[in-house]
Amino acid sequence: MTGENGNIIEINGLTKRFGSFTAVDNISFHVRKGEIFGFLGANGAGKTTAMKILCGLSLPTSGEGTVNGFSINGEQEQIKRHIGYMSQKFSLYPDLKVWENIRLFGGIYGLGFKELRKKCVSIPESLGMEDYADKSVSSLPLGWKQKLAFSIAMIHNPEIVFLDEPTGGVDPETRRMFWEMICGAAENGTTVFVTTHYMDEAEYCDRVSIMVDGRIADIGSPEELKGRYGEPDMDSVFRKLATKAKRF
Amino acid sequence: MKEFLSFTKKEFRHIFRDRRTILIVLVMPVVQIILFGFAISTEINNVRIDIVGDMTDPTVRKLVQRIDNNGYLEVKGIFTGTDVISERFRRNESDMAVCFEDDFDKKLDKKGSATVKLIGDGSDPNSAQIIANYVTGVISSGTGDGKKETTAGSPLPVKYMYNPSMLSSYNFVPGVMGLILTLICSMMTAISIVKEKEFGTMELLLVSPVKPIWIIISKAVPYFVLSTINLVTILLLSRFVMHVPINGSLLLLSAVSLTFILTSLGIGLLISVISSTQKTALLISGMGLTMPTMIFSGIIFPCESMPEILQWFSDIIPAKWYIIMVKKIMIEGAGFSFMIKEYTILLLMTLLLLGTSIRLFKKRL
Amino acid sequence: MKTGIKTLESVVFLLEKEFKQFFRDPGLPKMVIMFPVLMMLVFPYAVSMDIKNINLAVVDNCRSTESDELVKNCTSSGYFNLVTICDDPSEAMVMMEKNDVDAILTINPDFSRNLVKEGTMSLGININTVNGTKGNIGAGYLNSCMMKFASSSDSASVEPVSGSIVTSTKYYYNPYMDYKVFMVPALIVIAITMITGFFPALNIVSEKERGTIEQINVTPVKKSAFIICKLIPYWLVAFFILTACLLIAKVVFGYRCAGDLSALYLFTTLHIIVTAGLGPLISNYSENAQQSMFITWFFMMIFMLVSGIFTPISSMPAWARAITYFNPMRYYADAMRSVFLKGSTVIDVWYDAAGLAVIGASMLIAAIRGYRKTT
Repeated sequence: MTGENGNIIEINGLTKRFGSFTAVDNISFHVRKGEIFGFLGANGAGKTTAMKILCGLSLPTSGEGTVNGFSINGEQEQIKRHIGYMSQKFSLYPDLKVWENIRLFGGIYGLGFKELRKKCVSIPESLGMEDYADKSVSSLPLGWKQKLAFSIAMIHNPEIVFLDEPTGGVDPETRRMFWEMICGAAENGTTVFVTTHYMDEAEYCDRVSIMVDGRIADIGSPEELKGRYGEPDMDSVFRKLATKAKRF
Repeated sequence: MKEFLSFTKKEFRHIFRDRRTILIVLVMPVVQIILFGFAISTEINNVRIDIVGDMTDPTVRKLVQRIDNNGYLEVKGIFTGTDVISERFRRNESDMAVCFEDDFDKKLDKKGSATVKLIGDGSDPNSAQIIANYVTGVISSGTGDGKKETTAGSPLPVKYMYNPSMLSSYNFVPGVMGLILTLICSMMTAISIVKEKEFGTMELLLVSPVKPIWIIISKAVPYFVLSTINLVTILLLSRFVMHVPINGSLLLLSAVSLTFILTSLGIGLLISVISSTQKTALLISGMGLTMPTMIFSGIIFPCESMPEILQWFSDIIPAKWYIIMVKKIMIEGAGFSFMIKEYTILLLMTLLLLGTSIRLFKKRL
Repeated sequence: MKTGIKTLESVVFLLEKEFKQFFRDPGLPKMVIMFPVLMMLVFPYAVSMDIKNINLAVVDNCRSTESDELVKNCTSSGYFNLVTICDDPSEAMVMMEKNDVDAILTINPDFSRNLVKEGTMSLGININTVNGTKGNIGAGYLNSCMMKFASSSDSASVEPVSGSIVTSTKYYYNPYMDYKVFMVPALIVIAITMITGFFPALNIVSEKERGTIEQINVTPVKKSAFIICKLIPYWLVAFFILTACLLIAKVVFGYRCAGDLSALYLFTTLHIIVTAGLGPLISNYSENAQQSMFITWFFMMIFMLVSGIFTPISSMPAWARAITYFNPMRYYADAMRSVFLKGSTVIDVWYDAAGLAVIGASMLIAAIRGYRKTT
């Protein structure tokens, strides 16, 4: 489903306005199949807004683009068949048990009863939470919830998975494990589109874009960017770009 | 005091930022009071009458004519037998059947009396009875032709006090006022405290040096202002749109109404303090309060005809006392000395509700 | 074809989720049980229009055997509660102003003389009609007492005058004029409407507030499937309430449905489409739980008070009557009462079914249309 140039996401002149406020201002970029694409920016830079448009949750004010070959203007429901999404705010059903959430979302994606039964066992196992499979999700610690949410976003082996600040508020150890899971998914051929404001995480990405005030300030692999700005790490690169920010 | 003022300001900003809710709160009572004020009425109107009898009979024809000419009654169908009546009732096509016996005119002339049988749809007993009384009156209001009227039929000099034209609005508008004021007011206030509990912003307030009582009062002030606006619109509407008079003192009416708003705020605050989630608070105030207030405040169903135990229960509904007072002031034009009991009860309830909310609020800190 | 099967499958899983959430809610199942039970056990006693205990003051200026007889006649009727017999009319008026007295019967000094001589009654009745219904009915009772008195004292001395029309009244379906039985189907209607109106509205708003609806929106699930799965549990809840209420009506009050029970369930099904469609519709347009609660309450009040449940629709002015045609509860209450009390069939009250179906279908379509997976 990728374009002739191997790009799974192509975005041209994407803009989203809320009233007089321009959250995303005429951005263009592309994501190659199978890469881990980091979508960096400060809070309020417009990352989540842009991501929601790519996921088909929100309509762009103007601009065009395709995700997995489907247009972001009108083919949202087709896009949704091929992507996984994990929101910034934890959004599994807290009053349902771990296996019940797995069963629900697996079922919605049309997994079939036999496979669902397998997944209800295999996913908690792979996350090391077999003992918690029968506990309600609200009782899990935050790190576990995030790992579970990621596994559920991946349950139907989507072509692309969108992760919105997946590691916000979790401890460093869990963050490391989380990135192992992300890299594992990429190795299996899933394209990963991830937003974050932890600059050390940017190092794990194949390519990153840095958003400032709704625009893409720069884009490239971490190595390229570090070289371009003559900085030893991504954190310094980001700070150099972000000082131009007018918002906040 | 300074902290209290800044707290109150914060609450005002907070509430008035949510424009849509403010709009809903201010527009709802306008629509409801107009709709209910006009629509809720028990006056008999548009009564559908079926006739069973011989239409060639001159007296029957005259009586049917009289029924049809009556502004409240409308002849829907004329039949020769009573067997169709129950079917007509089942299809809701008629409210009452007036059945004239055979040879009506002849019997009236020769035997001196003739029988009319009224068959009412008793499924609505109240309307049926009122309709039957009314139709009886129409039929026996003089048989005409100079025939002498019976003594028993002579009308008694009944004088309807305060509401000479028997307008339902005199009864229902004060009731609806009480109902709307108390429910909107307590529903607004019900989420005030529980919201902060849920969002975890309560701690922030509690570490401040302000006393709990002032926190509660600062929360109540904006709602009090909003409810007062509602009160003014409701009063203006009932006076100038519904034409319910304000015969008594406007000052007294305002004083009583403001006390009642405080009572309702007290209910809302109490719900807010005891609920653990917004959802519970909203359900208690919206669903749990609506039915008892509607049924037990005497708006539609007179409290006097309830079993004693339920009458006691109706005594704890603040709206009941408020509505009694509003009727006395607006319609009977009575002064304060005629409602000392009611006002004292309402005032005690207010103090009790506010006191309990503050006590419980302190306890849960 | 393949997507069709997938939709059906996702319906199964969404339904499973709704049911689990329903039963796991700390308050919901309890409320579903308690609310109708309370409604049926307490409210029928309260919603009585039987006007009894009309407080009567008699101003007896005649003080004769005839006037004593008249007063006795009134008090023995069972409708009146004799508060006082006094001579001073102003005293009675003060009592009326204090609400201690609802009606004043004034017997003039010439009462007994006129009655004997001319057979007329010289008296006056003052009735407090601030409460119109009570006043009206009270006046009716007093009137009939007077007439009875007049005819009983007449018959001995005066021959029946020619040309009198005798009216007798008979009531179908409810010969004892029991008001409770009239309200029982209406209370069922209210219980079902309240529960199935308030809960779905809050349910969807809370999914919005928790963010779980976003996780659903990013899946390829069909909008209609999502809304219908929200509706089905409340359909069953409504059936449960209906069954419970009918049982209570039978066991506690001895009321049986005069018509076909299946008709009650059919109308309930149609009604649920309306109320449970209203919930999602309202939550589509509200930003938070409080707003959706206010709007739901606003409609519930209008549905209830202008539905003919408490006061007859025929008493409303024409414009208000026109509004009732858009009120689903008008049709539902009318149908439930007709079936329960008079044994009407669905064909008899086809217009109620048609009204509910049209409103339900538009509500559901509006709810599905208004629900945006992409904003």
